[in-house]
Amino acid sequence: MREADERLRNSRLVFYKEDIDKIDKMLEEMLRLSKAKCALLIDKDGHLVTKSGGSSSYDTDTIAALVAGSFAATKEMARILGEEEFSVLFHQGKKDNIHLTLVGNRTLLAIIFDDKTTVGMVRLYSNEVTKKMVTVFTDASKKTGPKQAMDTGYSSAAQNKVDEFFKD
Amino acid sequence: MVQINFARREVNCKIVYYGPGLSGKTTNLEIVHQKAPTGSKGKMTSIATEGDRTLFFDFLPLDLGEVAGMRTKFQLYTVPGQVYYNSTRKLVLQGADGVVFVADSNPAKMVENLESLNNLVENMIAHGMDPFETPFVLQYNKRDLPGALSVDDLNTKMNKWKLPTYEAVAVKGEGVLATLKGISKLVLERLNRDYVKSATASTAPLIKGGTPSMGTPVSGGAAPAAPRPGQPQPAARPPQPVARPPQAQPAARAPQPAARPPQPAARPPQPQFTPQQRPAAPPPPAHAPPPPAPAKSEGCFGMILVAATTAMLAAACLVAAVLSGTN
Repeated sequence: MREADERLRNSRLVFYKEDIDKIDKMLEEMLRLSKAKCALLIDKDGHLVTKSGGSSSYDTDTIAALVAGSFAATKEMARILGEEEFSVLFHQGKKDNIHLTLVGNRTLLAIIFDDKTTVGMVRLYSNEVTKKMVTVFTDASKKTGPKQAMDTGYSSAAQNKVDEFFKD
Repeated sequence: MVQINFARREVNCKIVYYGPGLSGKTTNLEIVHQKAPTGSKGKMTSIATEGDRTLFFDFLPLDLGEVAGMRTKFQLYTVPGQVYYNSTRKLVLQGADGVVFVADSNPAKMVENLESLNNLVENMIAHGMDPFETPFVLQYNKRDLPGALSVDDLNTKMNKWKLPTYEAVAVKGEGVLATLKGISKLVLERLNRDYVKSATASTAPLIKGGTPSMGTPVSGGAAPAAPRPGQPQPAARPPQPVARPPQAQPAARAPQPAARPPQPAARPPQPQFTPQQRPAAPPPPAHAPPPPAPAKSEGCFGMILVAATTAMLAAACLVAAVLSGTN
Protein backbone atom coordinates (compact mmCIF):
# COMPACT_ATOMS: atom_id res chain seq x y z
CA MET A 1 0.00 0.00 0.00
CA ARG A 2 2.83 2.34 0.91
CA GLU A 3 4.46 1.63 -2.43
CA ALA A 4 1.23 2.42 -4.24
CA ASP A 5 0.92 5.68 -2.35
CA GLU A 6 4.46 6.58 -3.29
CA ARG A 7 3.73 5.91 -6.94
CA LEU A 8 0.69 8.14 -6.80
CA ARG A 9 2.63 10.94 -5.14
CA ASN A 10 5.34 10.72 -7.74
CA SER A 11 3.05 10.67 -10.73
CA ARG A 12 2.26 14.35 -10.54
CA LEU A 13 3.50 17.57 -9.07
CA VAL A 14 1.35 19.24 -6.45
CA PHE A 15 2.24 22.55 -4.89
CA TYR A 16 0.39 23.81 -1.83
CA LYS A 17 -0.29 27.41 -0.99
CA GLU A 18 1.47 27.51 2.35
CA ASP A 19 4.73 26.27 0.82
CA ILE A 20 4.51 28.59 -2.17
CA ASP A 21 3.81 31.53 0.14
CA LYS A 22 7.07 30.79 1.93
CA ILE A 23 8.90 30.54 -1.38
CA ASP A 24 7.39 33.80 -2.63
CA LYS A 25 8.75 35.60 0.43
CA MET A 26 12.19 34.10 -0.13
CA LEU A 27 12.17 35.15 -3.77
CA GLU A 28 11.10 38.70 -2.92
CA GLU A 29 13.95 38.98 -0.44
CA MET A 30 16.41 37.56 -2.96
CA LEU A 31 15.26 40.08 -5.59
CA ARG A 32 15.61 42.94 -3.11
CA LEU A 33 19.15 41.95 -2.18
CA SER A 34 20.39 41.04 -5.63
CA LYS A 35 18.59 43.89 -7.45
CA ALA A 36 17.44 41.46 -10.13
CA LYS A 37 14.20 42.18 -12.04
CA CYS A 38 12.21 39.05 -11.56
CA ALA A 39 12.34 35.40 -10.64
CA LEU A 40 10.39 32.47 -12.05
CA LEU A 41 10.22 29.07 -10.42
CA ILE A 42 9.50 26.48 -13.10
CA ASP A 43 9.01 22.74 -12.94
CA LYS A 44 11.10 20.57 -15.22
CA ASP A 45 8.13 19.91 -17.50
CA GLY A 46 7.98 23.61 -18.31
CA HIS A 47 5.05 24.69 -16.11
CA LEU A 48 5.36 27.85 -14.06
CA VAL A 49 5.21 27.21 -10.30
CA THR A 50 5.41 30.79 -9.04
CA LYS A 51 6.88 34.13 -9.99
CA SER A 52 8.06 37.19 -8.19
CA GLY A 53 9.10 40.69 -9.23
CA GLY A 54 8.21 42.62 -12.34
CA SER A 55 7.35 39.78 -14.65
CA SER A 56 3.98 41.05 -15.83
CA SER A 57 5.35 42.21 -19.18
CA TYR A 58 6.86 38.82 -19.99
CA ASP A 59 5.14 35.88 -21.63
CA THR A 60 5.96 33.68 -18.66
CA ASP A 61 4.33 30.52 -20.06
CA THR A 62 6.60 30.59 -23.08
CA ILE A 63 9.68 31.50 -21.07
CA ALA A 64 8.94 28.59 -18.71
CA ALA A 65 8.63 26.11 -21.59
CA LEU A 66 11.81 27.36 -23.26
CA VAL A 67 13.79 27.38 -20.03
CA ALA A 68 12.77 23.80 -19.28
CA GLY A 69 13.66 22.75 -22.84
CA SER A 70 16.99 24.51 -22.65
CA PHE A 71 17.79 22.88 -19.34
CA ALA A 72 16.80 19.46 -20.61
CA ALA A 73 19.07 19.90 -23.63
CA THR A 74 22.04 20.82 -21.47
CA LYS A 75 21.36 17.86 -19.23
CA GLU A 76 21.79 15.63 -22.25
CA MET A 77 25.05 17.34 -23.09
CA ALA A 78 26.22 16.90 -19.50
CA ARG A 79 25.38 13.22 -19.66
CA ILE A 80 27.47 12.80 -22.79
CA LEU A 81 30.38 14.52 -21.06
CA GLY A 82 30.00 12.26 -18.05
CA GLU A 83 28.38 14.85 -15.77
CA GLU A 84 25.06 14.21 -14.08
CA GLU A 85 23.79 17.61 -15.12
CA PHE A 86 24.86 21.24 -15.28
CA SER A 87 23.19 22.84 -12.30
CA VAL A 88 23.69 26.47 -13.35
CA LEU A 89 23.19 28.13 -16.74
CA PHE A 90 23.62 31.72 -17.76
CA HIS A 91 22.34 33.46 -20.89
CA GLN A 92 23.76 36.90 -21.51
CA GLY A 93 21.96 39.49 -23.62
CA LYS A 94 22.58 43.14 -24.47
CA LYS A 95 20.11 44.41 -21.88
CA ASP A 96 18.63 41.46 -20.06
CA ASN A 97 20.25 38.28 -18.84
CA ILE A 98 18.91 35.05 -17.43
CA HIS A 99 20.50 33.01 -14.69
CA LEU A 100 19.15 29.48 -14.27
CA THR A 101 19.66 27.28 -11.25
CA LEU A 102 18.44 23.79 -10.52
CA VAL A 103 16.38 23.61 -7.31
CA GLY A 104 16.21 20.08 -5.97
CA ASN A 105 15.55 17.64 -8.77
CA ARG A 106 12.29 18.86 -10.15
CA THR A 107 12.28 22.64 -10.30
CA LEU A 108 14.36 25.38 -11.88
CA LEU A 109 14.84 28.97 -10.79
CA ALA A 110 15.14 31.52 -13.60
CA ILE A 111 16.29 34.97 -12.53
CA ILE A 112 16.05 37.79 -15.07
CA PHE A 113 18.29 40.78 -14.44
CA ASP A 114 19.75 43.77 -16.25
CA ASP A 115 22.73 46.09 -15.78
CA LYS A 116 21.52 47.32 -12.40
CA THR A 117 23.31 44.34 -10.90
CA THR A 118 25.97 41.79 -11.78
CA VAL A 119 25.98 38.10 -12.48
CA GLY A 120 28.11 37.60 -9.34
CA MET A 121 25.49 39.18 -7.10
CA VAL A 122 22.74 37.21 -8.73
CA ARG A 123 24.67 33.98 -8.42
CA LEU A 124 25.44 34.63 -4.75
CA TYR A 125 21.85 35.26 -3.74
CA SER A 126 20.44 32.61 -6.03
CA ASN A 127 22.63 30.00 -4.34
CA GLU A 128 21.32 31.08 -0.96
CA VAL A 129 17.67 31.08 -1.91
CA THR A 130 18.03 27.76 -3.71
CA LYS A 131 19.22 26.07 -0.52
CA LYS A 132 16.31 27.55 1.42
CA MET A 133 13.80 26.41 -1.19
CA VAL A 134 15.16 22.88 -1.14
CA THR A 135 14.59 22.88 2.62
CA VAL A 136 10.98 23.99 2.12
CA PHE A 137 10.38 21.21 -0.41
CA THR A 138 12.05 18.62 1.79
CA ASP A 139 10.04 19.65 4.85
CA ALA A 140 6.85 19.67 2.85
CA SER A 141 7.45 16.15 1.60
CA LYS A 142 7.70 14.91 5.20
CA LYS A 143 4.55 16.58 6.42
CA THR A 144 1.39 14.63 6.98
CA GLY A 145 -2.10 15.81 7.67
CA PRO A 146 -4.99 17.33 5.85
CA LYS A 147 -4.27 18.63 2.40
CA GLN A 148 -5.89 21.08 0.13
CA ALA A 149 -8.12 19.25 -2.26
CA MET A 150 -9.66 19.91 -5.60
CA ASP A 151 -13.38 20.30 -5.83
CA THR A 152 -15.06 16.92 -6.33
CA GLY A 153 -16.97 18.39 -9.25
CA TYR A 154 -13.76 19.19 -11.08
CA SER A 155 -13.86 16.24 -13.45
CA SER A 156 -17.35 16.69 -14.84
CA ALA A 157 -16.92 20.46 -14.98
CA ALA A 158 -13.65 19.99 -16.87
CA GLN A 159 -15.23 17.61 -19.38
CA ASN A 160 -18.02 20.14 -20.03
CA LYS A 161 -15.47 22.89 -20.41
CA VAL A 162 -13.55 20.84 -22.97
CA ASP A 163 -16.76 20.26 -24.97
CA GLU A 164 -17.47 23.95 -24.94
CA PHE A 165 -13.90 24.97 -25.76
CA PHE A 166 -13.42 22.65 -28.71
CA LYS A 167 -16.73 23.26 -30.43
CA ASP A 168 -15.95 23.08 -34.13
CA MET B 1 3.25 15.15 -15.49
CA VAL B 2 0.20 17.08 -14.40
CA GLN B 3 1.03 20.01 -12.16
CA ILE B 4 -1.61 20.88 -9.59
CA ASN B 5 -0.77 24.26 -8.13
CA PHE B 6 -3.02 25.27 -5.25
CA ALA B 7 -1.12 28.51 -4.75
CA ARG B 8 -1.91 29.73 -8.26
CA ARG B 9 -5.17 27.74 -8.42
CA GLU B 10 -3.99 26.08 -11.62
CA VAL B 11 -3.91 22.66 -13.24
CA ASN B 12 -1.30 22.33 -16.00
CA CYS B 13 -1.21 19.43 -18.42
CA LYS B 14 1.28 18.66 -21.17
CA ILE B 15 0.18 17.11 -24.46
CA VAL B 16 2.77 16.02 -27.02
CA TYR B 17 2.17 15.51 -30.74
CA TYR B 18 4.44 12.74 -31.98
CA GLY B 19 4.89 11.19 -35.42
CA PRO B 20 7.17 10.88 -38.42
CA GLY B 21 8.60 13.87 -40.23
CA LEU B 22 6.13 15.88 -42.32
CA SER B 23 3.11 14.00 -40.99
CA GLY B 24 1.44 17.25 -39.93
CA LYS B 25 2.24 17.76 -36.25
CA THR B 26 3.14 21.43 -36.58
CA THR B 27 0.14 21.98 -38.85
CA ASN B 28 -2.09 20.58 -36.11
CA LEU B 29 -0.76 23.17 -33.68
CA GLU B 30 -1.10 25.97 -36.22
CA ILE B 31 -4.74 25.08 -36.80
CA VAL B 32 -5.42 24.89 -33.06
CA HIS B 33 -3.79 28.29 -32.74
CA GLN B 34 -6.03 29.67 -35.51
CA LYS B 35 -9.22 28.19 -34.15
CA ALA B 36 -8.81 28.58 -30.41
CA PRO B 37 -10.79 31.47 -28.96
CA THR B 38 -8.83 34.68 -28.64
CA GLY B 39 -7.81 35.22 -25.07
CA SER B 40 -7.53 31.51 -24.43
CA LYS B 41 -4.40 30.93 -26.44
CA GLY B 42 -0.86 32.09 -25.93
CA LYS B 43 1.71 32.78 -28.58
CA MET B 44 2.77 29.81 -30.68
CA THR B 45 6.52 29.36 -30.49
CA SER B 46 8.49 27.24 -32.93
CA ILE B 47 12.12 26.30 -32.65
CA ALA B 48 12.63 25.40 -36.27
CA THR B 49 15.37 25.26 -38.85
CA GLU B 50 15.62 27.85 -41.59
CA GLY B 51 13.77 25.39 -43.78
CA ASP B 52 10.85 25.50 -41.30
CA ARG B 53 11.41 21.96 -40.10
CA THR B 54 10.95 21.55 -36.37
CA LEU B 55 14.36 21.53 -34.69
CA PHE B 56 13.42 21.22 -31.04
CA PHE B 57 9.70 21.73 -30.52
CA ASP B 58 6.67 23.86 -31.27
CA PHE B 59 4.83 25.12 -28.24
CA LEU B 60 1.32 26.44 -27.81
CA PRO B 61 -0.24 27.22 -24.42
CA LEU B 62 -4.03 26.97 -24.17
CA ASP B 63 -6.08 28.23 -21.26
CA LEU B 64 -9.43 26.52 -20.84
CA GLY B 65 -10.40 28.98 -18.16
CA GLU B 66 -11.60 28.36 -14.66
CA VAL B 67 -12.95 24.91 -13.88
CA ALA B 68 -14.33 24.33 -10.40
CA GLY B 69 -12.09 27.03 -9.02
CA MET B 70 -8.94 25.85 -10.79
CA ARG B 71 -7.64 27.51 -13.93
CA THR B 72 -6.99 24.63 -16.31
CA LYS B 73 -4.25 24.93 -18.90
CA PHE B 74 -2.93 22.68 -21.62
CA GLN B 75 0.51 23.06 -23.06
CA LEU B 76 0.79 21.57 -26.52
CA TYR B 77 4.16 20.50 -27.87
CA THR B 78 5.29 18.87 -31.08
CA VAL B 79 8.47 16.87 -31.45
CA PRO B 80 10.85 17.01 -34.41
CA GLY B 81 9.87 14.09 -36.60
CA GLN B 82 13.12 13.46 -38.39
CA VAL B 83 14.97 10.33 -37.28
CA TYR B 84 18.14 12.33 -36.67
CA TYR B 85 16.56 14.29 -33.81
CA ASN B 86 15.72 11.42 -31.49
CA SER B 87 17.56 12.94 -28.54
CA THR B 88 15.53 16.15 -28.70
CA ARG B 89 12.35 14.20 -29.39
CA LYS B 90 12.93 12.25 -26.22
CA LEU B 91 13.48 15.44 -24.21
CA VAL B 92 10.19 16.93 -25.36
CA LEU B 93 8.29 13.75 -24.55
CA GLN B 94 9.46 13.88 -20.95
CA GLY B 95 6.63 14.65 -18.56
CA ALA B 96 3.89 14.29 -21.18
CA ASP B 97 0.41 13.71 -19.76
CA GLY B 98 -1.05 12.72 -23.11
CA VAL B 99 0.25 11.79 -26.54
CA VAL B 100 -1.24 12.29 -30.00
CA PHE B 101 0.45 10.18 -32.64
CA VAL B 102 0.01 11.86 -36.03
CA ALA B 103 0.28 9.24 -38.78
CA ASP B 104 0.51 9.92 -42.49
CA SER B 105 -2.17 8.10 -44.51
CA ASN B 106 0.08 7.89 -47.56
CA PRO B 107 0.85 4.18 -48.15
CA ALA B 108 4.46 5.09 -48.98
CA LYS B 109 4.86 6.49 -45.46
CA MET B 110 3.73 3.40 -43.59
CA VAL B 111 7.26 2.26 -42.76
CA GLU B 112 8.05 5.69 -41.33
CA ASN B 113 4.81 5.64 -39.35
CA LEU B 114 5.68 2.31 -37.79
CA GLU B 115 9.27 3.29 -37.08
CA SER B 116 8.10 6.44 -35.37
CA LEU B 117 5.47 4.56 -33.39
CA ASN B 118 8.09 2.11 -32.17
CA ASN B 119 10.39 4.98 -31.35
CA LEU B 120 7.60 6.64 -29.34
CA VAL B 121 7.05 3.52 -27.26
CA GLU B 122 10.79 3.11 -26.71
CA ASN B 123 11.07 6.70 -25.52
CA MET B 124 8.01 6.42 -23.31
CA ILE B 125 9.46 3.38 -21.60
CA ALA B 126 12.83 5.11 -21.29
CA HIS B 127 11.07 7.90 -19.38
CA GLY B 128 9.24 5.42 -17.15
CA MET B 129 5.91 6.20 -18.80
CA ASP B 130 3.56 3.28 -19.12
CA PRO B 131 2.23 3.09 -22.68
CA PHE B 132 -0.74 1.19 -21.25
CA GLU B 133 -1.69 3.96 -18.91
CA THR B 134 -0.69 7.15 -20.64
CA PRO B 135 -3.58 8.80 -22.49
CA PHE B 136 -2.80 8.12 -26.11
CA VAL B 137 -4.70 8.63 -29.38
CA LEU B 138 -3.91 8.16 -33.05
CA GLN B 139 -4.66 10.71 -35.72
CA TYR B 140 -4.76 9.47 -39.30
CA ASN B 141 -3.84 12.62 -41.14
CA LYS B 142 -3.89 13.51 -44.83
CA ARG B 143 -7.12 11.61 -45.47
CA ASP B 144 -7.62 13.62 -48.66
CA LEU B 145 -4.59 12.15 -50.40
CA PRO B 146 -5.42 10.17 -53.51
CA GLY B 147 -4.65 6.55 -52.71
CA ALA B 148 -4.65 7.12 -48.97
CA LEU B 149 -4.79 3.89 -47.01
CA SER B 150 -8.22 3.01 -45.70
CA VAL B 151 -8.89 3.42 -42.02
CA ASP B 152 -9.27 -0.36 -41.75
CA ASP B 153 -5.82 -0.85 -43.27
CA LEU B 154 -4.30 1.75 -40.97
CA ASN B 155 -5.96 0.17 -37.96
CA THR B 156 -4.71 -3.25 -38.97
CA LYS B 157 -1.17 -2.03 -39.37
CA MET B 158 -0.91 0.49 -36.56
CA ASN B 159 -3.66 0.09 -34.03
CA LYS B 160 -3.70 -3.37 -32.60
CA TRP B 161 -4.29 -1.82 -29.18
CA LYS B 162 -7.60 -0.27 -30.19
CA LEU B 163 -6.63 3.26 -29.32
CA PRO B 164 -9.11 5.99 -30.13
CA THR B 165 -8.45 7.15 -33.68
CA TYR B 166 -9.32 10.32 -35.56
CA GLU B 167 -9.29 11.03 -39.25
CA ALA B 168 -7.96 14.42 -40.20
CA VAL B 169 -6.95 16.69 -43.01
CA ALA B 170 -4.91 19.03 -40.85
CA VAL B 171 -4.07 21.52 -43.60
CA LYS B 172 -7.80 22.14 -44.04
CA GLY B 173 -8.40 22.14 -40.31
CA GLU B 174 -10.52 18.98 -40.41
CA GLY B 175 -10.33 16.65 -37.45
CA VAL B 176 -7.75 18.74 -35.61
CA LEU B 177 -9.95 20.01 -32.82
CA ALA B 178 -11.72 16.65 -32.52
CA THR B 179 -8.34 15.02 -31.91
CA LEU B 180 -7.33 17.57 -29.31
CA LYS B 181 -10.70 17.31 -27.63
CA GLY B 182 -10.31 13.54 -27.47
CA ILE B 183 -6.88 13.56 -25.89
CA SER B 184 -7.82 16.40 -23.52
CA LYS B 185 -10.72 14.39 -22.17
CA LEU B 186 -8.54 11.34 -21.65
CA VAL B 187 -5.95 13.41 -19.80
CA LEU B 188 -8.59 14.94 -17.53
CA GLU B 189 -10.16 11.54 -16.95
CA ARG B 190 -6.85 10.14 -15.85
CA LEU B 191 -6.10 13.14 -13.69
CA ASN B 192 -9.40 12.72 -11.92
CA ARG B 193 -8.98 8.98 -11.49
CA ASP B 194 -5.47 9.27 -10.08
CA TYR B 195 -6.25 12.30 -8.01
CA VAL B 196 -9.24 10.72 -6.33
CA LYS B 197 -7.10 7.69 -5.57
CA SER B 198 -4.25 9.71 -4.16
CA ALA B 199 -6.61 11.79 -2.06
CA THR B 200 -8.13 8.68 -0.55
CA ALA B 201 -5.02 6.52 -0.40
CA SER B 202 -2.53 8.92 1.07
CA THR B 203 -2.53 11.64 3.68
CA ALA B 204 0.96 12.83 2.95
CA PRO B 205 1.39 16.08 1.04
CA LEU B 206 2.03 15.58 -2.62
CA ILE B 207 4.53 18.36 -3.05
CA LYS B 208 7.85 17.14 -4.30
CA GLY B 209 11.06 19.04 -4.37
CA GLY B 210 13.52 16.25 -4.38
CA THR B 211 12.64 12.92 -5.81
CA PRO B 212 12.49 12.64 -9.54
CA SER B 213 9.99 10.19 -10.81
CA MET B 214 7.86 9.80 -13.83
CA GLY B 215 4.60 8.08 -14.47
CA THR B 216 5.12 4.79 -12.80
CA PRO B 217 2.15 2.66 -13.64
CA VAL B 218 -0.93 3.28 -11.65
CA SER B 219 -3.72 0.80 -11.47
CA GLY B 220 -7.16 1.60 -12.72
CA GLY B 221 -6.40 2.79 -16.21
CA ALA B 222 -8.23 1.79 -19.29
CA ALA B 223 -6.69 -1.31 -20.76
CA PRO B 224 -6.42 -1.60 -24.48
CA ALA B 225 -7.78 -4.69 -26.09
CA ALA B 226 -4.38 -5.83 -27.20
CA PRO B 227 -1.00 -5.14 -25.70
CA ARG B 228 0.80 -2.07 -26.87
CA PRO B 229 4.26 -2.62 -28.15
CA GLY B 230 6.89 -2.96 -25.53
CA GLN B 231 4.51 -4.30 -22.96
CA PRO B 232 4.65 -7.87 -21.90
CA GLN B 233 1.41 -9.72 -22.05
CA PRO B 234 0.58 -10.42 -18.45
CA ALA B 235 0.18 -14.05 -17.66
CA ALA B 236 -3.05 -13.60 -15.82
CA ARG B 237 -4.62 -10.71 -17.58
CA PRO B 238 -8.02 -9.78 -16.31
CA PRO B 239 -10.82 -9.99 -18.78
CA GLN B 240 -10.83 -6.98 -21.05
CA PRO B 241 -13.87 -4.81 -21.29
CA VAL B 242 -16.05 -6.74 -23.64
CA ALA B 243 -17.17 -3.85 -25.69
CA ARG B 244 -14.60 -1.21 -26.14
CA PRO B 245 -16.38 1.81 -27.47
CA PRO B 246 -16.29 2.35 -31.17
CA GLN B 247 -13.33 4.28 -32.36
CA ALA B 248 -13.52 7.95 -32.82
CA GLN B 249 -14.36 8.91 -36.29
CA PRO B 250 -13.52 11.71 -38.64
CA ALA B 251 -14.63 15.20 -37.98
CA ALA B 252 -17.65 14.57 -40.15
CA ARG B 253 -18.93 11.82 -37.92
CA ALA B 254 -20.26 12.23 -34.47
CA PRO B 255 -17.56 13.30 -32.05
CA GLN B 256 -16.39 10.32 -30.19
CA PRO B 257 -13.97 10.20 -27.43
CA ALA B 258 -16.75 10.39 -25.41
CA ALA B 259 -15.19 7.33 -27.06
CA ARG B 260 -13.76 6.06 -23.84
CA PRO B 261 -16.55 4.93 -21.64
CA PRO B 262 -17.08 6.69 -18.38
CA GLN B 263 -14.80 4.95 -15.96
CA PRO B 264 -16.91 2.62 -13.92
CA ALA B 265 -16.59 2.84 -10.20
CA ALA B 266 -15.90 -0.87 -10.00
CA ARG B 267 -13.37 -1.20 -12.70
CA PRO B 268 -11.78 -4.57 -13.28
CA PRO B 269 -8.36 -4.58 -11.70
CA GLN B 270 -5.68 -3.76 -14.21
CA PRO B 271 -2.41 -5.54 -14.47
CA GLN B 272 0.44 -3.99 -12.58
CA PHE B 273 3.70 -3.80 -14.38
CA THR B 274 6.70 -3.30 -12.23
CA PRO B 275 9.85 -1.92 -13.77
CA GLN B 276 11.39 -5.35 -13.29
CA GLN B 277 8.74 -6.91 -15.43
CA ARG B 278 9.28 -4.47 -18.19
CA PRO B 279 11.65 -5.35 -20.93
CA ALA B 280 14.78 -3.25 -21.00
CA ALA B 281 13.87 -2.22 -24.49
CA PRO B 282 10.56 -2.78 -26.13
CA PRO B 283 10.46 -5.67 -28.52
CA PRO B 284 9.11 -4.53 -31.83
CA PRO B 285 5.50 -5.47 -32.34
CA ALA B 286 4.89 -8.30 -34.72
CA HIS B 287 3.42 -6.02 -37.32
CA ALA B 288 6.23 -3.55 -37.32
CA PRO B 289 9.43 -3.55 -39.29
CA PRO B 290 12.63 -3.77 -37.33
CA PRO B 291 13.43 -0.50 -35.61
CA PRO B 292 16.00 1.67 -37.29
CA ALA B 293 19.59 0.90 -36.51
CA PRO B 294 20.53 2.80 -33.37
CA ALA B 295 23.68 4.00 -35.02
CA LYS B 296 21.57 6.31 -37.16
CA SER B 297 20.13 8.32 -34.35
CA GLU B 298 21.82 7.53 -31.10
CA GLY B 299 25.05 5.85 -31.84
CA CYS B 300 26.95 8.99 -32.60
CA PHE B 301 27.58 11.12 -29.55
CA GLY B 302 28.93 13.92 -31.68
CA MET B 303 25.71 14.21 -33.59
CA ILE B 304 23.69 14.24 -30.39
CA LEU B 305 25.94 16.88 -28.93
CA VAL B 306 25.56 19.06 -31.99
CA ALA B 307 21.78 18.58 -31.98
CA ALA B 308 21.48 19.31 -28.27
CA THR B 309 23.73 22.36 -28.52
CA THR B 310 21.83 23.72 -31.49
CA ALA B 311 18.52 23.16 -29.76
CA MET B 312 19.72 24.85 -26.59
CA LEU B 313 21.09 27.83 -28.48
CA ALA B 314 17.86 28.14 -30.42
CA ALA B 315 15.91 28.04 -27.16
CA ALA B 316 18.16 30.68 -25.63
CA CYS B 317 17.72 32.90 -28.69
CA LEU B 318 13.96 32.54 -28.40
CA VAL B 319 13.99 33.42 -24.71
CA ALA B 320 16.05 36.49 -25.58
CA ALA B 321 13.60 37.34 -28.34
CA VAL B 322 10.67 36.95 -25.96
CA LEU B 323 12.36 39.19 -23.43
CA SER B 324 13.40 41.83 -25.90
CA GLY B 325 9.98 41.74 -27.58
CA THR B 326 8.30 42.61 -24.34
CA ASN B 327 10.76 45.29 -23.22
